[in-house]
Amino acid sequence: MIAHAAKAHRERPWLLLLPVVAFLGVFFLVPLGQVVASSVTEPELTLAHYREFFSDGFYLLVLGRTFATALLVTLACLVLGYPLAYAAVRREGTIALVMLTLITLSLWTNFLVRTYAWMVILGNRGPVSAAFRALGVVPPPEILFTRVASTLGMVHILLPFMVMALYAVMRRIDPAYLRAAQGLGAPPRAAFRHVFLPLSAPGIVNGCTIVFILCLGFYVTPVLLGSPREQMLAGLIGRQIEELLDFGQASAMAVVLLAATLGLFWIYNRFVGIDKLWG
Amino acid sequence: MSTGNEAQSSRRKALKQIGAAVAGAVAAPYVITSRAASAEPLYVNTWGGVWEEAAAANLFAPFTKETGIEIKTVSPVSFAKLAAQARTGVYEFDVTTLGGGDIVRANDAGLIEKADDSVIDRSKLAPDMVFQNGVASHAFSTIIAWRKDRYPNGGPQSWADFWDLKRFPGSRCLQSYAARVLPLALLADGVPKDKLYPIDVNRAFSALERIKPAIRVWWTQGQQSQQLLRDGEVDAIGIWHSRTIELIKQNAAVDFTWNQGEIDRAYWVVSKGSPRAKQAWRFIQSAVSPERLARFCLQANYGPLNPKSLQYVPQSEMRFMPTAPANYKVQFEQDVVKAEPQLAEFTKRFEQWIAR
Amino acid sequence: MTRFSDWFAWLVLLFLAAPLAIVVPMSFSNAPSFQFPPPAWGVQYYRAFFADPRWLQPTVNSFIIGAATAVVTMALGIPAAFAIVRHRFAGRGWVNLLLLLPLTAPHIVLALGYYTYFGRLRLTQTYLGVVLAHTCLCVPIVYLTLSAALKGFDRNVERAAMNLGANPWRVFRHVTFPMLRPAFLVAALFAFIQSFDETVVALFISGRDASTLPRKIFDSLRTQADPVVAVVSTLLLGIVLAGTIASRLAARRRRVETPA
Repeated sequence: MIAHAAKAHRERPWLLLLPVVAFLGVFFLVPLGQVVASSVTEPELTLAHYREFFSDGFYLLVLGRTFATALLVTLACLVLGYPLAYAAVRREGTIALVMLTLITLSLWTNFLVRTYAWMVILGNRGPVSAAFRALGVVPPPEILFTRVASTLGMVHILLPFMVMALYAVMRRIDPAYLRAAQGLGAPPRAAFRHVFLPLSAPGIVNGCTIVFILCLGFYVTPVLLGSPREQMLAGLIGRQIEELLDFGQASAMAVVLLAATLGLFWIYNRFVGIDKLWG
Repeated sequence: MSTGNEAQSSRRKALKQIGAAVAGAVAAPYVITSRAASAEPLYVNTWGGVWEEAAAANLFAPFTKETGIEIKTVSPVSFAKLAAQARTGVYEFDVTTLGGGDIVRANDAGLIEKADDSVIDRSKLAPDMVFQNGVASHAFSTIIAWRKDRYPNGGPQSWADFWDLKRFPGSRCLQSYAARVLPLALLADGVPKDKLYPIDVNRAFSALERIKPAIRVWWTQGQQSQQLLRDGEVDAIGIWHSRTIELIKQNAAVDFTWNQGEIDRAYWVVSKGSPRAKQAWRFIQSAVSPERLARFCLQANYGPLNPKSLQYVPQSEMRFMPTAPANYKVQFEQDVVKAEPQLAEFTKRFEQWIAR
Repeated sequence: MTRFSDWFAWLVLLFLAAPLAIVVPMSFSNAPSFQFPPPAWGVQYYRAFFADPRWLQPTVNSFIIGAATAVVTMALGIPAAFAIVRHRFAGRGWVNLLLLLPLTAPHIVLALGYYTYFGRLRLTQTYLGVVLAHTCLCVPIVYLTLSAALKGFDRNVERAAMNLGANPWRVFRHVTFPMLRPAFLVAALFAFIQSFDETVVALFISGRDASTLPRKIFDSLRTQADPVVAVVSTLLLGIVLAGTIASRLAARRRRVETPA
């Protein structure tokens, strides 16, 4: 009877899978395919949008700026996030609880709420400006609506992702390894550099991948905090949709962004395996 | 078996009740939709803030009371949404207001409904109120306003001053609206008021290049411009007079000048293909009726364009209106008819230029 | 060095948490501007929020859409997770990839696709359209949560039940489901939260009556003009804080109750 049930199950997976595959096919793959199709068919069959994208200095500048900002944000998150993850792993009891609660709180709070907080902080009537005025710098430098504000906001929002990715890996590093290294005579700094750091490498790779990819496609924060003159790719696509109504050009840019993102995921999958990304 | 009979009758009663409930549930949508069809709301695009409050009190409420048609507001205002609606047939709003530059563009591109003479009573309107398939409502001005704490000795008194970053250093803000901004750039470059149109586009853009580094934000929504000035995020701004006057009435540290102000007119239009076009035109007729328009303008600080409204405006309030003779003579009016052939092209160039 | 890195860690934590703290006092400000510290205090904006249908309607919409999305995503995801985890078949890798694909596409790209595609189908500005789009976006996270739970599930219990004569459906109803219920709840909660918070796609395809709360917040932040946004932010923050503390305490209790 069990063998019969097992055989029946072997034929059945398709029935279980059909709803989700059909659903994603119609409501996910089709719109995505349409974007790719529009990039060469709007307003008529043409490669002009791609040609313009790769030859016009402006678009290449935006692309370069997007990658450069993503790189900067990723490095900043790594430098800030590693010590925090390290401390959270090593501490115990209430302190660890507090740390993890604050990190999780930051992670779960809506992007928009955090962006709003930065609009207040960096605004002309906010604490940063007040501090400058107190130090005698009048008029205070304008930070809101600049690239600095947008980068700072992105680092703040993406930092918890980096910390959690690092934490998930660091947590599984057996402290016995460090004790063994110290038992063999290694000073704490060397034990960290030669034992802990390499063992935490998968976490670093995970965190950097997640943050970099999220940053490439970031729309909300750069649009609200940043300068319209120094837009990134996602903001430019949004502007094409909302104001210029140039769907062909918007689709071409979207395809470039999608290709870059999928390319990075493919590279990650090649070297690490996509299932490991989410721990 | 009396209990059996009781059980049977109570079950029958329960079944009847369930049956009635099911029938009610099935019939309900039809009842609701038929009632809703007659009271389907009208969606009006609004600029928020005082504009919306004044409109709600003086234009929407009386209309709803009179006709029973509810008005729902939608913001923000966006020309691109108007264009997208005409294309996709999915309407976020039925009625919106457009400035002179935009109404010509919209009419040329077929984005607004033709003025429906079966609903509009032209005898009640002044002859020039119906323009390019829109109905003129009120006049407003783009004027120069500044922060008194940034320029305690007085701010820029002309657009040339506004462009003068040496005498008036600091940040600037202008509206993201090509038809309004290009003439200002020409004035700053020294072109006399009467020689602005047709617009020398290349000269305007090279003048704009000079001010671009100082522009922190290109504002798109009325409330946004007001907020930027109120919070001091920008030092000098080209902003609507009504928003500035409101700030001054709230004792904000701002000041402005009427000099070289650019007068524009707001026109009510109906989105092309809207299924509620007839109700929309009824609303528009009501919104420009003399008394309602006057009350709206008084609350929101605009100049009514229906001549019959002026009888409801007390003399003391005239100084806030761009159409008052004393204010009018130092300003200039947009000549959208002369600019018409160039509009679409320089607007597109402007949109692309802004993003760079 | 560890002392320094500890200090640094606390500084970073401050950097993470302090901005969130600013939102709360802002909601009690009486001024119409973004001034901090606020010049005057009061609850006028709380009152404004609870009386304004232009804020309440999107809030209600987001709850409705989130709940519907969670239901649909679970209905699709539960059978799929079972199928993939418990069966070997040709194309398994591809289906796995398909289920994770929505996680990889940037939302702005999807927003563009949905805007034109749903626009043509007249699904924009409707609850249905947003639910369909959000379901696609939530499938990966539900799938990942469920498959993680299934992978750690001991099938011997099921086999014991079957040996005692239960048919597959009874086994699922009386054995599998009750044991997996916590994971199901967590997956449904994740789906709800992701839909509730989703901003970019909702920005382009929700609208008018089916507007979502994130879309309303975004529009209001763009014009910087509505201080009620501070109230909304504080309420959202409060909910997340309560949820975070609850989940952390639950995790701690679980660790105490089941010593590894």
